[in-house]
Amino acid sequence: MRIMRRRLNFVMLFVVILLLVFVSFSSLATQYPEEKAIRIIGPTAAGGANDIVSRMVTSSAQQIVGQRMDTIAMPGAGGQEAVHYVMDQPHDGYTFLISDYGCLITPALREELGYDLSDWKPVIQITQYLPTIFVREDSPIKDANDWIAKAKAEPNKFSIGHGTNLCPPHIGLIMIERATGMENTWVPTSGGSECLAFVLGGHVDIGASMPTTIAPSVNAGMVRALGLTSTERSKFLPDTPTFKELGYDVVSTSWLMIFAYKDVPEDRIEFMENKLIEALKTEGAVSMANKLNIEFLLQGREESQKIYNRTVEDLTSLFADLNMLKK
Amino acid sequence: MDTIFSLDFILTVVQEAFRVKCIIFSALGVFTGVTVGAIPGIAGDIAIALLLPFIYNLEPVAALGLLLGIYKGSMFGGAISAISFGVPGTGGAVATVEDGYRAKKNGYPKKAMLTALYSSATGDVISTVILVFLALPLAMVALKFGPKEYFSLYVFAILMISLLLQGGMKKGLVAAAIGLLLGCIGMDPITGTTRLTFGIRHLRGGMPLIPLLIGMFAISELMTQYLKAWYHNRSKYSKESELSESSSKLSKESGYNPSKDIMSFKVYLSSLKATLIGCVMGTFIGALPGAGSSLAAFVSYGAAKRLSSHPEQFGKGSLEGVAAPEAGNSATVGSSLIPLIAFGIPGSATAALIGAAFMMMGMQPGPLMMQDNMPVMYTFFVVILYASIMNLGIGYFLIPIYAKISMVKPRFIFPVLFILAILGTYASRNSIIDIWLLLAAGLLGTLLKKAKYPLGPLVLAYIIGPGAERSLRQALLMGRGEWSSLLKSPIAIGFYAVTIVTIILITKAKSQEKFS
Repeated sequence: MRIMRRRLNFVMLFVVILLLVFVSFSSLATQYPEEKAIRIIGPTAAGGANDIVSRMVTSSAQQIVGQRMDTIAMPGAGGQEAVHYVMDQPHDGYTFLISDYGCLITPALREELGYDLSDWKPVIQITQYLPTIFVREDSPIKDANDWIAKAKAEPNKFSIGHGTNLCPPHIGLIMIERATGMENTWVPTSGGSECLAFVLGGHVDIGASMPTTIAPSVNAGMVRALGLTSTERSKFLPDTPTFKELGYDVVSTSWLMIFAYKDVPEDRIEFMENKLIEALKTEGAVSMANKLNIEFLLQGREESQKIYNRTVEDLTSLFADLNMLKK
Repeated sequence: MDTIFSLDFILTVVQEAFRVKCIIFSALGVFTGVTVGAIPGIAGDIAIALLLPFIYNLEPVAALGLLLGIYKGSMFGGAISAISFGVPGTGGAVATVEDGYRAKKNGYPKKAMLTALYSSATGDVISTVILVFLALPLAMVALKFGPKEYFSLYVFAILMISLLLQGGMKKGLVAAAIGLLLGCIGMDPITGTTRLTFGIRHLRGGMPLIPLLIGMFAISELMTQYLKAWYHNRSKYSKESELSESSSKLSKESGYNPSKDIMSFKVYLSSLKATLIGCVMGTFIGALPGAGSSLAAFVSYGAAKRLSSHPEQFGKGSLEGVAAPEAGNSATVGSSLIPLIAFGIPGSATAALIGAAFMMMGMQPGPLMMQDNMPVMYTFFVVILYASIMNLGIGYFLIPIYAKISMVKPRFIFPVLFILAILGTYASRNSIIDIWLLLAAGLLGTLLKKAKYPLGPLVLAYIIGPGAERSLRQALLMGRGEWSSLLKSPIAIGFYAVTIVTIILITKAKSQEKFS
């Protein structure tokens, strides 16, 4: 009886070891990205512009990547919840961050957040956001030159709503003021929607936001866009000049990129780069982007890294001038 | 092109709206919303966010019916948990706890839930009708609200609720002050710098809402009941007469007689005035971007109490005290879509998700949305209306089940509630720090309850405090630092005047109460 029991225990132990070996070999046998779903973490609220773009990317790319892809919105702490969440996950190429510079670079230049900006590796650039200055249709401000002339004549005459403090439209506004020498009263808001509401309601004189937010109101004739801080016009606001065209040396654009945190294997980043670009070039993805008023400006890793580095340098220099860099 | 008054157009709309797929998905949405809303810690917008990727595979109207159904259902669903366990399932149900939970303790949970359901449905239908017929005029009024006006509204709401709830004026104001302080934790709304986080990374985004709500209400209730039971056991062997009295009190809470818990049309009519007050308040406040369902619920509660023939019943299980906030918070569903459709400005976080769904289906929210998508939009309006009726039907079906669950003896239900509280809190951000915050909030809630401080003003002040601070500072920036600029708005002056009159009337009423 004792011998039987011992034999039974031995057999059970053997089966358990066999199962463990089988499971471990199974996981070894899977190739990236077959192990689990790929997640793109967004630092802004669900339903916002970045979140919508991210959902479009994940839904377009799933079949081409060959694995389920999920967008997870993790707003909070000015985007830092999402950033730290990605940092804390295994660096195995299954968790990425989608962000503009407002949630990733700007806060890190101002305070110690537990990461270096060089820790983040761009995988692809998806699009660029073009900060746009706009007024209500019946505003006495005729155009950008009129605004600049009036504001220089009477500093702080105009109040300007923008998004959160030091968000891309706010940075664009700062650059315009530095280039033109005018001063306006800045009014931070919770985001593009509140900014648009304040302009439409006449609570602020001018607004600074993105074409995606204001284009429907421009097309309906409720607001007028005065100018963009980009090198080229937006296809959604074809009649709106850039400040560069108007003779002001102001270029300030934001981008939306997907990032991998440090130590993610290079081959996995390269895999994602190729697959995402392939997915976003399909007819379906382009059509969806058009419906969402998004213009793709796809860039691969190398070019995205150059753009990222340039942005870090420009913002570091700007914040140093404004005495806003962390001590 | 068909005009909206042509027979062909109407037939097309009706045919599309009443397709089996649309009906099924709307019903599924409502059922999901009611269920999810009843679970503390999981709000309707989480369910909507999770379903967003799947709507690509659905037809637009079916997809929107599903999402709207969740939105509507979760507004009522929050009341179930509020009435059954004293834990608001959503932020909008916090005001319902005041009288809803007391109603359940008094032995009529089903009546309270049905009151919540009927008033929710009434608020929902009325705000939907206003969405369909009066969207643009109401949106234009909403645009008149800027920082000065929002600040005056927030001041009015906080002061009114602090003064009106049980516990006394001073205690209400102290509770509100604690709530404002808790709301200051995290990032400065204007400069973005962090404050009061004590170096704890998880507090950068502020004190999270879920641990605070569940801790303040659920954990504190568990602790309070445990302390009561512990005291009861201690006095069991020393004071026999007191023992039998407290024993009967405990059994009253856990005993339930369904035959005495019956809703009638007369009961519904007795709370109709409060319901209509909630509908008006909720519809208006819901149309103000960012104002939120919690504010609508509390303002509705406060207004209903002020205008009630029996204000002394509020806080003691009054059904009017259930009807008003529920009508108020459900009325925000339709009206929060008004600025979204009119201007592309979402009226709430959930409305923003609905807006995202519109965009993913190729419809750009904004001034041209109706014009460019007329057949889809009118079909959508019909679906919203019948989803409200579905909410009524599904809620009616589920209520007897929930009413019975709510009356299960505390010693069985509280351990389950405790586990759900922990799970719901952890699920929201996968953070163990949130569990510690949950327990800390529970301790704070217990101490406040023991000292008879009301929790309603604390929670309201916590929710709207950051918005109030942001509005104040925006108004001062626009006014170049002049405090007098806060009065340069007839709407703001109106709210301040109503606030002062309300304070005077309440103070007078309380003094008269003391003398008599």
